[in-house]
Amino acid sequence: MSNDTLTHSLTFTEAPAALTVVVDPTPQIARGSAVVVERRRPKAAGWSLLQGLGVVVDHWRKSFRKLDDTTQIAGTFTTEYPEERLPLPEAYRNMPILLFDDATGHELCTSCFQCQRICPPQVIHMTQAKDPDTGKPVPAVSEFIIEYDACMSCGFCAEVCPFDAIKMDHNFELSTADHSSLTVHKTDLLRPISYYQSIAPTFWAEAEASAYKKLETNKKRRPATIGIAPQMLAQLKAAHELRDDQQEATMPTTAVASAPAPATSSAAPPARSAALAASASDLPTDKAARLAAIRARNEAKAAVQAAPATASAAPAASDGGDLPTDKAARLAAIRARNEAKKAAEQAAAAEAAPTLATPDMPPTDVQPAASEQAAPPAPTVPDASLDEKAARLAAIRARNEAKKADEQTAAAGAAPTLATPDVPPTDVPPATSEQAAPPAPAVPDAPLDEKAARLAAIRARNAAKKAAQAEGE
Amino acid sequence: MITTDELQINIGPQHPSTHGVFRMLITVDGETVVNLEPVFGYLHRNHEQLAEVNTYLQNMPYTDRLDYFNSMANNHAYALAVEKLAGIEVPERAEYIRVLMVELTRILNHAGAVGFMINDMGAWQTPLAFGIREREKILDLFELVSGARMMCNYFRFGGVVRDLPDDFIPRLKKLMVAMPAYIDELERLLRENEILLARSEGIGILPREVAVSYGVTGPVLRGSGIAYDIRKAEPYSIYDRFDFDVPVGSVGDVYDRFLVRIEEMRQSRRILEQIIEQLPDASGGHINPKARQNVRPPVGDAYARIESPKGELGFYLVSDGSTKPYRYKVRAPSFINLTPLGDMCRGYKVADIVVILGSIDIVMGEVDR
Amino acid sequence: MYDVVDFILNTQLGLNSPDWVVMLISHLIVVAILFAIAPVQVLFLTYYERRAIARMQDRVGPNRVGYEGLLQPIADGVKMFTKEDIVPVSADQRVHLLAPIVTAAPVMYMFAVLPWGPNMIAVDLPTGLLFFFAISSISTVGLLMAGWASNNKFALLGAMRAVAQVVSYEIPALLSLLFAVMLTGSMSLMAIVEAQSGLFISTTDVPNIPDLGLGWFVFTPVGFLAFVCFFIAALAEGERTPFDIPEADSEIVAGYMTEYSGMKFALFYLAQYILNFLLCAITATIFFGGWQGPGIAWLVSQSLSADNPAGNPVYNVLAGMLGTFYLLAKTYAFFFVMVALRGAFPRLRIDQLMNFGWKFLIPLTMINILSAALWIAITRWGTAQGFGIIEFAGEPSNLVRWLIAFAVTLVINVAAYWFLARLNIQDHVARQAALAAGGLAVSPPRSA
Repeated sequence: MSNDTLTHSLTFTEAPAALTVVVDPTPQIARGSAVVVERRRPKAAGWSLLQGLGVVVDHWRKSFRKLDDTTQIAGTFTTEYPEERLPLPEAYRNMPILLFDDATGHELCTSCFQCQRICPPQVIHMTQAKDPDTGKPVPAVSEFIIEYDACMSCGFCAEVCPFDAIKMDHNFELSTADHSSLTVHKTDLLRPISYYQSIAPTFWAEAEASAYKKLETNKKRRPATIGIAPQMLAQLKAAHELRDDQQEATMPTTAVASAPAPATSSAAPPARSAALAASASDLPTDKAARLAAIRARNEAKAAVQAAPATASAAPAASDGGDLPTDKAARLAAIRARNEAKKAAEQAAAAEAAPTLATPDMPPTDVQPAASEQAAPPAPTVPDASLDEKAARLAAIRARNEAKKADEQTAAAGAAPTLATPDVPPTDVPPATSEQAAPPAPAVPDAPLDEKAARLAAIRARNAAKKAAQAEGE
Repeated sequence: MITTDELQINIGPQHPSTHGVFRMLITVDGETVVNLEPVFGYLHRNHEQLAEVNTYLQNMPYTDRLDYFNSMANNHAYALAVEKLAGIEVPERAEYIRVLMVELTRILNHAGAVGFMINDMGAWQTPLAFGIREREKILDLFELVSGARMMCNYFRFGGVVRDLPDDFIPRLKKLMVAMPAYIDELERLLRENEILLARSEGIGILPREVAVSYGVTGPVLRGSGIAYDIRKAEPYSIYDRFDFDVPVGSVGDVYDRFLVRIEEMRQSRRILEQIIEQLPDASGGHINPKARQNVRPPVGDAYARIESPKGELGFYLVSDGSTKPYRYKVRAPSFINLTPLGDMCRGYKVADIVVILGSIDIVMGEVDR
Repeated sequence: MYDVVDFILNTQLGLNSPDWVVMLISHLIVVAILFAIAPVQVLFLTYYERRAIARMQDRVGPNRVGYEGLLQPIADGVKMFTKEDIVPVSADQRVHLLAPIVTAAPVMYMFAVLPWGPNMIAVDLPTGLLFFFAISSISTVGLLMAGWASNNKFALLGAMRAVAQVVSYEIPALLSLLFAVMLTGSMSLMAIVEAQSGLFISTTDVPNIPDLGLGWFVFTPVGFLAFVCFFIAALAEGERTPFDIPEADSEIVAGYMTEYSGMKFALFYLAQYILNFLLCAITATIFFGGWQGPGIAWLVSQSLSADNPAGNPVYNVLAGMLGTFYLLAKTYAFFFVMVALRGAFPRLRIDQLMNFGWKFLIPLTMINILSAALWIAITRWGTAQGFGIIEFAGEPSNLVRWLIAFAVTLVINVAAYWFLARLNIQDHVARQAALAAGGLAVSPPRSA
């Protein structure tokens, strides 16, 4: 096994004569020494070959056990990928995604451009949303594009985001034959917070408090539906249409219906999202059902609480004894109470055993509801899906009731002044708005309750306003 | 009388064992290499110029892609350079975490380098597969802390991205059990193997003088018998706190480089043991100062270097006081170590040049930048 | 096969066919079986190799197509068939096309002389062994054609290496097999297998030994050394690691196969694996008794043959099946060794391969022939052959003579191995000393 390599004349380039090598081959080394590696010789010809063969055969023998013990060096460690998957660590980062709030649908992103600025390959592009009326920028993003094909997954965007709006996804199965699909727009980037929570629970737990706090602040500065995740908006619109149909059936006077429109549209999303969140497919069904039921009940409760407040506030605002206001307020209160009762019943029914026979429902309400409820065939079993549907139904009904109450109030009170759809809230008499406000803090601080309370407050305020206007007439 | 003619062959740019897109223009007389001219630049991607239009932090993920085997070491060198430039202090725990990561990187690099070298010798991937198996375990740890297996982007100026997760140290300790077993087994498989000896002893001798005159560093230089290790010669970070030896070769051939790498894995494990012992608890100071995202170093320049697994990795930065480096220069060990390839290969057989190239352990991402 | 066909046609059916019809039918059946088996064996071998080597590397190997990946070779075959056939513009078109055929065809012929079981051989040539190696050399021409026709420097280098290697290693391969020819006095592979009946001691040496089909040549020092030499030479012949130099992927891409794709590439692949299979089979046949094994002798004694017309043909079939099983089991065991070698070792360089072959293997096989001659003399010769010394020793029994032969040849062979290995290592040690003296001192260190 010899070769004649040695006989080669070693033709290295000569080191330049001027160069003096000042490196000591065996210097004094602190905390250690220079050890010359030992060039071992095989003990007997061929023995080391057999030894090597032994190692390989030993591995072959041991490979029939499957191991995931990292202290071992023999055995099969293969994870057979599509069937088996390794758990990804929370820190795992693949491609960036945007987060939105499950409950309200509000995106966490405020388009502060931090991520766009830090992105090393500059693949993040965004446009800030503007208020359609005033043209002023709003802390929300109207379009957000990430070029996944050029993203290097460095994670800087998630690191710098002050609002915890952009996070690194764990989904690594992005391969596609369609290149253009890798330029991802906002709708496809958005994920609910609950999704991120499921992939990185401790990371989210750290960020949660400040993220929600900042979101609450920003939400107040977002008019209309700006800043709401488009996928939520679509569901929202569907709910809108449902409501409009019902309106047409009960109230043909569209002019009247348009009167409270601005107020409702800004107030509606939070309320509606209670139901929408339930239908959001990301949540487990039974959880969603329970959530919807709770929300419906809360909403009703808030309405109950808000209504007396308005009722008591209204007389004070309009120097007492003013009939239209009083009447409207009282009407609203009654409606709300009725509706609350119904909602409570409905919720109870939903939780006990969903029954179809709900004679106390107005026929317009039952029609779509019945068709929905007709589908579940086993009413005796409190099935999760049944629960969910029934609860959602209850919520929708409660909302409709409230809305109708509002509309009727408006119709009763504000019939002459039809063309005031864009009255800004500032026009409301200060006393009324002050008095309408209290119900909100009175309600428990959970965001759901708060929302419902705010809704009720806004409604009450609208009613009061109408009343005031009517009085002015 | 038979007249023979010299033949010119291009090994690369597309070739199984050029470790990337690299070309060796060889002139052979039969199977004997008469001349070899390394040609590189096929993977040039404007790294240094690109760095000058990026902010200091934005360059961090790009350093991952220099020597993609050792992203942690690259991060360390760059972070050191910026910290030197901007005068940023690093918390104690962060220093330990940094050294921990870089030593793990050294082990995984050498496991891979030895495997690839034996692969170039014609082994059907078994030493490489064993090396990759251990490397996977280390990469799992990297993924745990940084979120990525190879492009870690873990270091920040003045710290690291995040603290070690709770299950990091237990998993590391498990790994430390497997490591000596792996190294011993590798030695049993290869160290005295007569085929390996025949293929590596006396092959690609790089004499001490030549090595120094080319500016070669790392295991290649140490294989040539010079105990020069920046961790010892100019201790950076906290390397002066650890006991470890510097293995050197006696002949300067492929076999010495192979042995030096194996011994360095052992020494790295020694350092890891000491780190685990000394690691300060998490209560003492932060790990990631978020404020360091926009460094604006004062006007000046700085050169920081580390003993990367492949040799001396240095970053030279010039600041003009803005948020972007005015000049950014990488002293890449792979590139410098590749330059004596022609001298190392002359006079050997065609089959030897791939082995010699493998023993230098280059990564083209670093050579061409 | 002849006996069975004869039994069915003439005895059972009473057709009274002439001898040549029986011969033709039986041969056609055998040929059909062999040509069906060969590619299937190759398909299975590739799967077997990939799975085994994966296990050695703590991997799982192909396990997706079919049960545990058994259909993987078929998928590979489909892929090969559907690939585009690329011929370089500057290639010699006709030679480029012919080369894979010239390489693959001869190895198929080699099946003709391989004994699968008792009386199961396509053609029992009296010169079977010679035929086997002679025909295998022809495929070397195909390799050279491929390398030359591709008009590619890597291919040419690969072809030159292949020719140099295969031609060099045919010498030790044949020299190491010569002992079997000497011991059995025949080049017929069937005769060689039949000589290996017995129990650790061949019945040809000691006739009264119980016949369990285990009197393999490998149990003698002569046979063992020959086996080691032959197996090493076979590795080189079959271009297996550590001698897969002609297609060293890390050096010359794929050697002579560089410019081939699709089905032509598959043919080279097929040829190589058939060759490997056959080399393993011939190793089993010559050193490990081929189809010999416990139970064969009894089944053969019960079966129908010219000597035993009262036998039952069922036993013919059973003996054949058991013999084939033994042969295949041994073959796959050797292939496993080949795979393990591939898993464990790097490859040698072409000059080291030549050195090893010419300076170590050939001298060793030469000495082994000497031992073989001594073996024959001690165990079989008497005064008639001029071995008069046996009379002075008092005509010892066969067993004692066998033991003496064992001891003598063992000493000779071990000494030869030790001496030659030492000679080669001394070469190495001298090189080491030179390295230590001059390696780093090409220009002496000047320290400050």
